[in-house]
Amino acid sequence: MSTWGATADASARRTPRTAGVGLRLPHLAEVVATRPRVAWFEIHPENFLANPHACELLQEVSQHYPISVHTVGISIGSTEGIDRVHLARLRGLVDALEPVLVSGHLAWSTHQGAYLNDLLPLPYDDETLAVVAAHLSEVQEGLGRRYLVENPSSYVGFGSSTMTEAEFLCELVRRTGCSLLCDVSNVYLSARNMGYDPYQFIDALPVNAVHELHLGGFTSEPDEATPGGEVLIDTHAAGVAEPVWELYAHAVRRFGLQPTLVEWDNDIPPFTTLAAEAIRADEVATMTQKDSRALAG
Amino acid sequence: MPSLADLQTDVRQALTSGDVTALESVLVGGTRAQGRLAIHQRQYEASLATALLEKFPATGWLIGSAMMMRVAKVFLRAYPPDRPCIAEYGSEFPTFLAAQDAEATLPYLQPFAELEWHVGQVSIAISEAPVAWSQLVCVGAEALPKVGLTLQPGLRHVHAAWAIDDLMKVYLTGSAPDRFTLADTDACIEIKGARGEVQFTRLDPATFLFRTALAMGRSLGDAAERALDRDERFDTAHALTALVVDGLVTALNPETGVDA
Repeated sequence: MSTWGATADASARRTPRTAGVGLRLPHLAEVVATRPRVAWFEIHPENFLANPHACELLQEVSQHYPISVHTVGISIGSTEGIDRVHLARLRGLVDALEPVLVSGHLAWSTHQGAYLNDLLPLPYDDETLAVVAAHLSEVQEGLGRRYLVENPSSYVGFGSSTMTEAEFLCELVRRTGCSLLCDVSNVYLSARNMGYDPYQFIDALPVNAVHELHLGGFTSEPDEATPGGEVLIDTHAAGVAEPVWELYAHAVRRFGLQPTLVEWDNDIPPFTTLAAEAIRADEVATMTQKDSRALAG
Repeated sequence: MPSLADLQTDVRQALTSGDVTALESVLVGGTRAQGRLAIHQRQYEASLATALLEKFPATGWLIGSAMMMRVAKVFLRAYPPDRPCIAEYGSEFPTFLAAQDAEATLPYLQPFAELEWHVGQVSIAISEAPVAWSQLVCVGAEALPKVGLTLQPGLRHVHAAWAIDDLMKVYLTGSAPDRFTLADTDACIEIKGARGEVQFTRLDPATFLFRTALAMGRSLGDAAERALDRDERFDTAHALTALVVDGLVTALNPETGVDA
């Protein structure tokens, strides 16, 4: 097991335990110009690494806000291994920004030389665990810091899985010393799509390993797999749904106040809408904490 | 059960070709799980097609969004991205586009789409500190022909047999006239840009050859020879001075310039 405790502790001290906002390219110039009241920003490095102008503006943003780097291109579940060129580019950006958190997904995206531009599902068994753990250790070594792994949004699974997603994540933490990013919306959506209890899923995650939460919008559509049914799609194109706010409160009760990101990646609304969602996340978290203390006291 | 590598091969195949038969017995989710894989198929196709349309809006304006979307979907199946930064995806699209239904295609479509690719690239570039004239003087006359020059990252060159830069200006300024005649001409176009700004300049053919040779890493001596072969009146000193004075040279690379 790798030991990234000191790095994680230092980062955790600098990380606001409040809600931040995903910083996407359409809002970048506005944020530089107006410096809105937001606790922190999360960026997708793949949007910046090939865009020197955006990278330059991002450096300016990082002088005023804590930044979290959330990669969508590392593909820790690919059997073909980590793209070391991309990992080195990511390391360069991480060194330049000194982000408070670096995270990515429990998924795969690359195979036979193709990058498939999606977060694809994995079977949860011993073979996958060995592959992901080895790659995760390589990523943490390559970045020189602890990496947070996010639970995916699921539409399909594999009959060969021998453990649940939560069991898989627990074992990954034990083997690699990674942290977890609990995407509360993904928990809700996956539980609905795959037929399990989202509250039990959250209760099954190791409480001390969860160092960030995500909230995002999804959309519903007819389920091709189940005539008459519906499937929830992780579009990040809408506000956070009411049942997810309730599940978020449960996550705060279990994991305590954690940096919480509000994501909105498609049909991106005015920045003020995103900021309002972040304020609501803070209100829900604060209220939940107060209620928990009152019950305990 | 198939190995993880075999599963990923089957999923890749399902995404890029639509064939899910190899996965029918291994997927779970709903009562007919392979139907759920369509969500990933759509995400793969829609995200990359949208990325291409956003990268080539002027080309789409020229040929229509329906044809752009049709060709983009064929392209992304034949040429999936090979790296995760989608901003770098699509450089081969102009050639691919022009090869589709080639007889019906506009003869200037490929260079126009290539021009648009370069416009996109230079508009996200940033300018680097230029070399001062005094640094060039220090090189010495004997060593100078062997020197290579690094040019600004936001500098590109496109040669076309039509005035595609004029057509691009019409698109970029949103000033489409009722009637536009595309001139049939030898256009040596330099595209210069940084931080969202883009400029087009027509160069004379010899200067164009000189600058493109330098951009490809050729030595000053070799670049000058190419220009002189094109036009014996080419003035190397003047051309070099113009590059430096315009702030287009960012580094001198002694002995690293490639000779022909």
